[in-house]
Amino acid sequence: MPTGVYQTLGTSENGLSETEANRRLKVHGYNELPTHVFSKLQVLIRQFKNPIFAILIACAIIAGTYSEPTQSIIILSMIALSVILGFYNEYQAERIVENLRKNVSIKAVVTRDGKSSQIDSKLLVPGDLVSVYVGDIVPADMRIVKSKGLQVDEATFTGESFPVEKISDRLNLERPTPQQLTNYLFMGTVMIHGSGQGIVVSTGKKTELGAISKSLVRTHPETEFQKGIKSYGTMLVTLTIALTIGIFSINTAIGHPLIDSLLFSLAIAVGLVPELMPAIITISLARGASRMANAKVIVKRLVSIEDFGNMDVLCTDKTGTLTEGKIALHDSQSLGGETNDKILTCSLLCNSAAVGEKTVGNPMDTAIWEYAIKNDAQEDVKSYDKIDEIPFDYQRRIMSVVVRKNEEYILISKGAPESIFAKCGRADISGRTEPLSAVRKAINAKFFSLSELGYRILAVACRSVEVKNSYSVEDEADLTLLGFLIFTDPPKNDAHQAINRLKEMGVDVKILTGDNELVAKTVCEELKVPVKRIVCGADLMQMSFTEIKTVVEEATIFARITPEQKLDIMKALKANGHVVGFIGDGVNDAPALYEADVGLSVDTAVDVSKEAADIVLLEKDLLVLADGINEGRKIFGNTIKYILMGTSSNFGNMFSAAAASVFLPFLPMLPMQILFMNLLYDISNMALPTDNVDEEYVKKPKRFDIGFIRKYTLFFGPFSSLYDFLTYGIMLFIFGASTPALAPVFRSGWFVESFWTEVLVIFVIRTRRIPFFTSRPGKWLTLLTLSCVAFGTILPFTILGGFLGFAPLPPEYWVLLFLMVATYLFLVDAGKVFFYKICKF
Amino acid sequence: MSLPDPILFAWWASSISAGSLFLAIVGIYLYATTRSRRRKSNQTTKNVGGLFKDFIFVWVLLGILVFYIITINIGSSLIFAAGNILVEALLIAYLLKNRKEESEER
Repeated sequence: MPTGVYQTLGTSENGLSETEANRRLKVHGYNELPTHVFSKLQVLIRQFKNPIFAILIACAIIAGTYSEPTQSIIILSMIALSVILGFYNEYQAERIVENLRKNVSIKAVVTRDGKSSQIDSKLLVPGDLVSVYVGDIVPADMRIVKSKGLQVDEATFTGESFPVEKISDRLNLERPTPQQLTNYLFMGTVMIHGSGQGIVVSTGKKTELGAISKSLVRTHPETEFQKGIKSYGTMLVTLTIALTIGIFSINTAIGHPLIDSLLFSLAIAVGLVPELMPAIITISLARGASRMANAKVIVKRLVSIEDFGNMDVLCTDKTGTLTEGKIALHDSQSLGGETNDKILTCSLLCNSAAVGEKTVGNPMDTAIWEYAIKNDAQEDVKSYDKIDEIPFDYQRRIMSVVVRKNEEYILISKGAPESIFAKCGRADISGRTEPLSAVRKAINAKFFSLSELGYRILAVACRSVEVKNSYSVEDEADLTLLGFLIFTDPPKNDAHQAINRLKEMGVDVKILTGDNELVAKTVCEELKVPVKRIVCGADLMQMSFTEIKTVVEEATIFARITPEQKLDIMKALKANGHVVGFIGDGVNDAPALYEADVGLSVDTAVDVSKEAADIVLLEKDLLVLADGINEGRKIFGNTIKYILMGTSSNFGNMFSAAAASVFLPFLPMLPMQILFMNLLYDISNMALPTDNVDEEYVKKPKRFDIGFIRKYTLFFGPFSSLYDFLTYGIMLFIFGASTPALAPVFRSGWFVESFWTEVLVIFVIRTRRIPFFTSRPGKWLTLLTLSCVAFGTILPFTILGGFLGFAPLPPEYWVLLFLMVATYLFLVDAGKVFFYKICKF
Repeated sequence: MSLPDPILFAWWASSISAGSLFLAIVGIYLYATTRSRRRKSNQTTKNVGGLFKDFIFVWVLLGILVFYIITINIGSSLIFAAGNILVEALLIAYLLKNRKEESEER
């Protein structure tokens, strides 16, 4: 025990008083790092990082220097408007995400006024006495005062992934580096073994982590959706560069002025790039995340939402998803089958739960205490003194303690039956000690029959030990098996319904459990979940990765598997082309949570799991999950609509503008007119994230298919070009606007037609059904689209229109326009019928 | 009504024809790739009549193109408007028939 440490840090073994803690909180502030804090300035600066703005600013400079200054002013105004739009939407989205993050807090077990309780770790202050356990993320910099087998992963802090042993002894070092301070725990490091207690030395920005400003967040692999967007971006950039260079060269070659040609080709480039796509995606995701939060699904990483919707395999554990997750001790039985109080007392002694006003700890240890308190069976514990503890780990699957009763020192072990059996030499059969080998068959039979009834079983064993200063894993040998602790965890009533719903949604559920295969199988049978094949961890160990890839397709249950095997299963499923979700709440689940396309955890999970997860469920419920998947699919659907819109109508328009510039004696549209149309088009798309999505679209998971988008562009792009050419024909040969003097009339005619077709086509593209009749668009989308169309229609008659170089159009034009656009929309709808007959999505 | 500038008209007619033909070729290409995929999995037994039916959309498209070129050449907005109404009626008939087939298949 380090003497004087408490005094030096202004605290005591009872911790701070609540009053003192509140006083210190006012002095030191909240214990949090500014890693997730966003500022308005950051969001504003981000708007200018878009390369499109560089092109636009170049256009403004070129126009201002060599062409008309009004053109330059208009372009600059459009830049300002785009920045305001992007800033407003992204800032709103950031605020939503920030608020959601607050729902997932990291807790710390703190002792104040002599009582242990769990508090939000941001309320910790210097001097607080904090207990840490396996799986915890150390919440502040702390001087260790109690340590038992403490090992910490300091990779986020030092980059070194090898576990570091921590002690509570005083160190005699001059000017030590943080790495040398083995009696300190540093904020952000992860407890991987043992337990301990420490006094908070510094919090928030004053911690070592705060000083070096490193983020705690590990990099997640790129999601399927991100990969898709990237390949889409590459496709667009290639098209844009090719078209821009082509237009500039041809226009210059045929004698159009150099500056006009340059500005025109740059404007086409701007028109082709969906510059508001990042904002549209962010708004979609943030709004979706907000809706998902109402369904108790908290999204930590926005970009994972789309993969969440497209996930086709969900790997889940059993506890809390298929079962109620309310583990209760049913009985403590000797090997003869009688209820035995000695086993209960041993399990109370060999227990990691913290008993205070509320019992806190792992569910099984907590269940033992709750059972004992309810049956008033905890009194016996007081006659023992706890001497030492050998903490639980996932390799041994055993926890042990050494206790003293009178003068006898006893080692008690509790853990997975197979692991305990391996450490036993004898068995206590109703007070008679027998060699384990003689009764092993009968014990196994009892264990299997209890497992087949769906009970979760722990075994308890003990032996007398000699007096020593410290005990280790080596002492867990030659034990006497006492009996079993039998736990119940009833299947959830709605689990069957939830699994069926997921199945209907095209999501295959696989169960990954640390329990034995019999328990898992029984739970599945009770829930009427069809089990195709059960694979045990021991079987997986013998398999190559290719064999695992085959087996993951066939098996429903993976039992008794290790954390590494969970990771292998994730990798194999991903290698087979699945989008994989994984629900985990244990310390051993973190690697698989990082590896899965969508890592899901629960609010009650250990810190590392919550930190690793993309999505945190406030309720561990598969039905909640199904609602979240549905939401993810809607968001994906609306994002795809924007992409399809952009690649078909927008691309078609820009292509026809480029082609027309070749044979017309004037530019078909001025650069500032193209840019203005582009801005108006983007505004009309702002309501797309709120659009309704057809029922059949969310029935099955979808993938971001760049091949499909390419085909869609090739097929639907020319429709819009075709009608642009038709408008050229009408303007040139019906209204005679074929001379440079009548160019404003020509441009106005084409602007209005082009804008109508470009914007109104969303009502056809957004659904595979009959637009409006069997699939209603969202009211905001309808309202905004029609408002933009109305604005675009009256523009040539306004002062702004004159300023932009437009001229009023003859009345006859409007009749032809109406008929032509109607034909266009019917033709696209007919094309849609033809297209979807041959191209599936 | 004045006759259009022949060079400009030729440019225009070539451009719109090229656009329509491109669209028709894309349609045929997409259809052919799907058909060859289905043939591999023995899902297709279409005859020439069936093929003609499948491509009705392409025929409609080419028909519209011819109609547009002729009316623009004439330069009459009245004929253009009337023709458009006729085309819309044809497209609605096509859509009604195909939507019905689609819902029956579902």
